[in-house]
Amino acid sequence: MATAGTGGAALDPGGGAAHLQPSALVTWWTILRTSIEERLVYRGDFALGTLMRFLPLVTQVFFWGAIFDALGAVSATSTVAGYTNNEIIAYYLLTQISRAFSSMPNLSNSIALQIRNGEIKKFLVQPVDLIGFLLVSRVAHKLVYYLVAVGPFALVFFLCRGFFSGWPEPHIMLAFLLSLVMSFLIGFFLEATFGMIGFWWLEVSSLLFVYMLLNFFFSGHMFPIDMLPGWWGTIVRAVPLQYLAYFPAAVFLGKIQGTALAWGLLYQLFWVVFFVVLCRWTFNRGVQHYSGYGG
Amino acid sequence: MNHDASTAAASPRVRPSYLKVFLMFARNSLVRNMMFRGNFIIECVTSLSWMAMNLAFYMLVFGYAESLGGWTKYQFLVFLSTTLFVNSLVQAFFMPNAEEFSELIRTGNLDFALLKPIDTQFLISLNKVDWSALSNFFFGGALLVYSLARLEQQPGLIQMVLYPIYVVCGVAIFYSLMIALASTSVWLGRNQALYEFWFYITNFSRYPMEIYRGTIGSPLRTFFTFVVPLLVVVNVPARLMAKPLDAQSWPLAIFALAAAIASVWASRMIFNRAMLSYRSASS
Amino acid sequence: MAIIEIEGLAKSYRVYQKQEGLLASVRGLFHRTYREVSAVRGIDLKVDAGEFVAFLGPNGAGKTTTLKLLSGVISPSGGTARVMGFVPWKRENAYRRRFALVMGQKNQLWWDLPAQESFRLHQQIYGIEPAQFDRRRDELVDLLQVRPLLGQPVRELSLGERMKMELIAALLHSPEVLFLDEPTIGLDVVAQHSIQSFLRHYQQIQKVTVLLTSHYMKDVAALCRRVVIIAHGQIMYDGSLSGIVDKFSGHKIITLVFPGDAVPGGLSRFGDVLEEQGPKVKLKVDRNGIAEALAVILAQHTVDDVSVEDPPLEEVIAEVFSLANEQAEAVVARP
Repeated sequence: MATAGTGGAALDPGGGAAHLQPSALVTWWTILRTSIEERLVYRGDFALGTLMRFLPLVTQVFFWGAIFDALGAVSATSTVAGYTNNEIIAYYLLTQISRAFSSMPNLSNSIALQIRNGEIKKFLVQPVDLIGFLLVSRVAHKLVYYLVAVGPFALVFFLCRGFFSGWPEPHIMLAFLLSLVMSFLIGFFLEATFGMIGFWWLEVSSLLFVYMLLNFFFSGHMFPIDMLPGWWGTIVRAVPLQYLAYFPAAVFLGKIQGTALAWGLLYQLFWVVFFVVLCRWTFNRGVQHYSGYGG
Repeated sequence: MNHDASTAAASPRVRPSYLKVFLMFARNSLVRNMMFRGNFIIECVTSLSWMAMNLAFYMLVFGYAESLGGWTKYQFLVFLSTTLFVNSLVQAFFMPNAEEFSELIRTGNLDFALLKPIDTQFLISLNKVDWSALSNFFFGGALLVYSLARLEQQPGLIQMVLYPIYVVCGVAIFYSLMIALASTSVWLGRNQALYEFWFYITNFSRYPMEIYRGTIGSPLRTFFTFVVPLLVVVNVPARLMAKPLDAQSWPLAIFALAAAIASVWASRMIFNRAMLSYRSASS
Repeated sequence: MAIIEIEGLAKSYRVYQKQEGLLASVRGLFHRTYREVSAVRGIDLKVDAGEFVAFLGPNGAGKTTTLKLLSGVISPSGGTARVMGFVPWKRENAYRRRFALVMGQKNQLWWDLPAQESFRLHQQIYGIEPAQFDRRRDELVDLLQVRPLLGQPVRELSLGERMKMELIAALLHSPEVLFLDEPTIGLDVVAQHSIQSFLRHYQQIQKVTVLLTSHYMKDVAALCRRVVIIAHGQIMYDGSLSGIVDKFSGHKIITLVFPGDAVPGGLSRFGDVLEEQGPKVKLKVDRNGIAEALAVILAQHTVDDVSVEDPPLEEVIAEVFSLANEQAEAVVARP
């Protein structure tokens, strides 16, 4: 166990940026380790929590089963917006994966909080990039989460393998993985930008409420965007929210193919760049504004 | 001062009026909610928006299919309004208290509640009221009126009278589950996952019980009707209102009443047991 | 007639052992290791009606646990206790109506509302007659001089003011027994003093039985004659404050003032030199050797002034505490 630290310098797990060590790897490992330990103290929670996320799926399976039953009684073809019963359940399972990548719990709030109580100053004074630091620690959090969640996830997917019609072709798989990484980036930079608003406006949480609401409905978390009629669908696809849940899932299921797939990925890349730039810009403007107050 | 020890022994021991105490709780909570008016409004808007989105989703789904487990669109909307009634009542009167109860146990600050000469369960279950949660109650009311008008067969007087009674039974069952879960904080430490657990579990009750069929569905339905009577909470009153009365309605209705009473009794047992094991905090 | 009777009261807890390191944490998921911690190890105590008793002891001594046992907040692992004839942990409403517990730095009043709203809630819960309630409240508010603060939200009050409100809330229902757990902790000197004088006055007039815990000796000295020293879950002393010195301290302090500016040497053979700043010197001398030491010193030197005093009470008490800790560690260290 690397407790003595391969970097040689003394470690301070709780120190944050003020004690950022020469070896980023060592810091990484410490963050990882303490996050895991912290989560393991209340073991009752830990065991239940990860598995719990899949409970609503059971209801959904029955819900859609009933819908397709009613459909099947009327017509021979049982699809809802091109999804069969199995496909729609597979869709929901896959959105759990895409959301495992794109959801950033508490990111905006903690940034806004740090701004509000002045903790942000230590980042402004020291040669540590706030956004970079946040990104690294968020990656660490995610890794911990995946480490811990891979068990329950694997179990659920194994039990639900009947809903899937086999593995997708290699190039689809690649596109899927690519879109997952990009949705992590979009999720991170989008929510970080929200947090930056804390430089001007204290009540970021109210804005966040609105965002969460829209996110839930329009990201594909609640239902496949394909279900939206006519120009509703077009509008929603123009907006980047679809990448947070819908897009990777739809790619995996082969709902987006060929040139549409290529364009989709390209458009996703565009949004990644957009939010990276936006985040950096709001941060810089925010810092200027903040320093103007004599902090 | 004109007080001495003998007067203390002789003065009449007045039993607190539980109703008056509750009214004070309600009043104090309202004052508090109004102090943070911005928050209050946001909470109302949030819960209404949430509901509106769910409604939009169901409308979308009914655009593709005629019925859900035998419930047509407007029948399902009656079901949905019943969900709103039950959930908003639970969220207004019991949710904030259950959360705080769990936290008080964890931090060992429950002491003060145990010192008062009033039933502890009453005190911790009702001392806060979240008035903003009632916004959904009114939304449910509007939805109910809207959908009742469009039903093929309107409910009769008996059903109208029984409906609120069964809504209350549903609230009682949810409350019992909530308080029982919160009480387990005494043995299990921090209960965060238990709270998420609560939301996921009640997720089962938000659809008509008919959707649970098949090799897994049927036993699930039986379990959540007769062992942990979650499905009874919304289904019984909703079915009374939305569907024509038939011979089948009554056994379940009678069972629902019994289930409500049994749930409350069971939760009280668990609560009392938890209070005996309470450890307080080291200071 | 004893209003509080405690016999062999004991309370122990199981504490979950947290292991260091990742692997151990994972193992902790499946198999917890426990440790038994004894907070109270057999206490015997009798308190008569109208007494003001202080529990003095270091942190972790078991003072607060004892009060919680007597309030019925927790139940014991062993032993018995009766307060006004009631068994506290049965939590009977008749009992709860007749006592009050106030804990320092812990707040039971509604945070965002003015104290007077909390008082009104108290009135309802305790079922106090309106006329009696108004009278009590006014008396207490005036005694503690907090009338202008009644309408302010509790969160806006200072720590001392909040404590006063807590006291009022506790006394509104005229309890016969009052348990106070470190009521002046964290307060500034003025607030401490003000609360101490209130408690003294109140207790004298109302003749309530008061049990107060503290690790501040000043609280104790200001308020009561009977002191119970609790350390490591057991009672080490029960008697008057002055008696503590007699029992626990083996020394006295001789202060000598010599003519001129110099202090003669060789005084260290009589005892430890605590302070030496010419012309004054302080010696710590064994009790039994005082007369002899004085005789010799006075015979050998000319002295302008001499005084013999007990060591400061705080020091003695601190020694008692550390003695208790050593004994406790010895017990734990034994296999």
